[in-house]
Amino acid sequence: MRQAGTYSGILSGGISGKTGPHLLPLARIKKIMKKSGEDVKMISGESPIVFSKACELFIKELTQRSWMVTMQGKRRTLNKEDVASAVMATDLFDFLVNLVSESGNSGEAPPSLGLDTFTSS
Amino acid sequence: MGIIQHGDSSNSINNVNNIFNVTDNVSNAGNISNTSNTNAVSTMPPPGPVLREQDQYMPIANVIRIMRRILPPHAKISDEAKETIQECVSEFISFITGEANERCQSEQRKTVTAEDILCAMGKLGFDDYIEPLTVYLTRYRQSENERTSLRGDTFLKRGNAYGPMMIPPHGVAPFNAGFQEGMTDAARAIMGGYNHGAHPGGAAGSSSQQAPFDDNLDPFVEFK
Repeated sequence: MRQAGTYSGILSGGISGKTGPHLLPLARIKKIMKKSGEDVKMISGESPIVFSKACELFIKELTQRSWMVTMQGKRRTLNKEDVASAVMATDLFDFLVNLVSESGNSGEAPPSLGLDTFTSS
Repeated sequence: MGIIQHGDSSNSINNVNNIFNVTDNVSNAGNISNTSNTNAVSTMPPPGPVLREQDQYMPIANVIRIMRRILPPHAKISDEAKETIQECVSEFISFITGEANERCQSEQRKTVTAEDILCAMGKLGFDDYIEPLTVYLTRYRQSENERTSLRGDTFLKRGNAYGPMMIPPHGVAPFNAGFQEGMTDAARAIMGGYNHGAHPGGAAGSSSQQAPFDDNLDPFVEFK
């Protein structure tokens, strides 16, 4: 989509593979943006680019906060509960509260429902 | 019913996605005798959710790569944590876009711009992101202009101190220096730096009201 040139060297530390100079795929970002609302009509070309960096910042912040919880538990494996704790502890991440308190992904049955299946038969 | 092929036949991944987007194909998946399908349904995986995970999340490998930049080398990440963060990223995009889109609509504009996104972030508490994003966007625009090699000559011809990849002082400073162009700081700074001759040397290279980079910055035409 875009040439990896002088830009990639300055900005992304040289990651210039399949996604070009950006760390996250722009087309996917655009897709998610469109899905966010029925009335999202047109998106400027620069919007996904801003988001690719913003998401990077977001992932770094969320990961960092989650890892602090992991360390407090004297563990080395960052798990889902650590992420949930970080979300709960950060006002900025209030919009994620419902997401992290769900028991599983929307697309697949959470493991915790397995017990119900067994007992209902 | 046959599979409805959407236009992009060159991307086989899209074809797979499109199959799952058409509800009547879900029932076809189990019907091997359906001879009107050009794609062999029997080679498709079982029908999944209408929108595949691949479409609604960032690729997990990319997410993990970014996480590893922050974490110490010995850190391990559970699969569930990776997926949770992957979902959080999509939620983040939707959250910000929703706010940005509202602002757009209230101003009766149709296109969500980088400025809208930056404003939305400020409004939703992500103030700390605005400055690095502004820098990023400024550099991106410079590199795009260099790439088209139209305006680079303008910089050099003016004989000013700006090298090809240097950011003019006011390209970023307006964010901090109270560049008074209107309501929002960050993106107005971006625009102001280009549009209103903020560069001391006139590096904008034009005395007219038309910003020199308008050709390359279509999204901002409507802000004139």
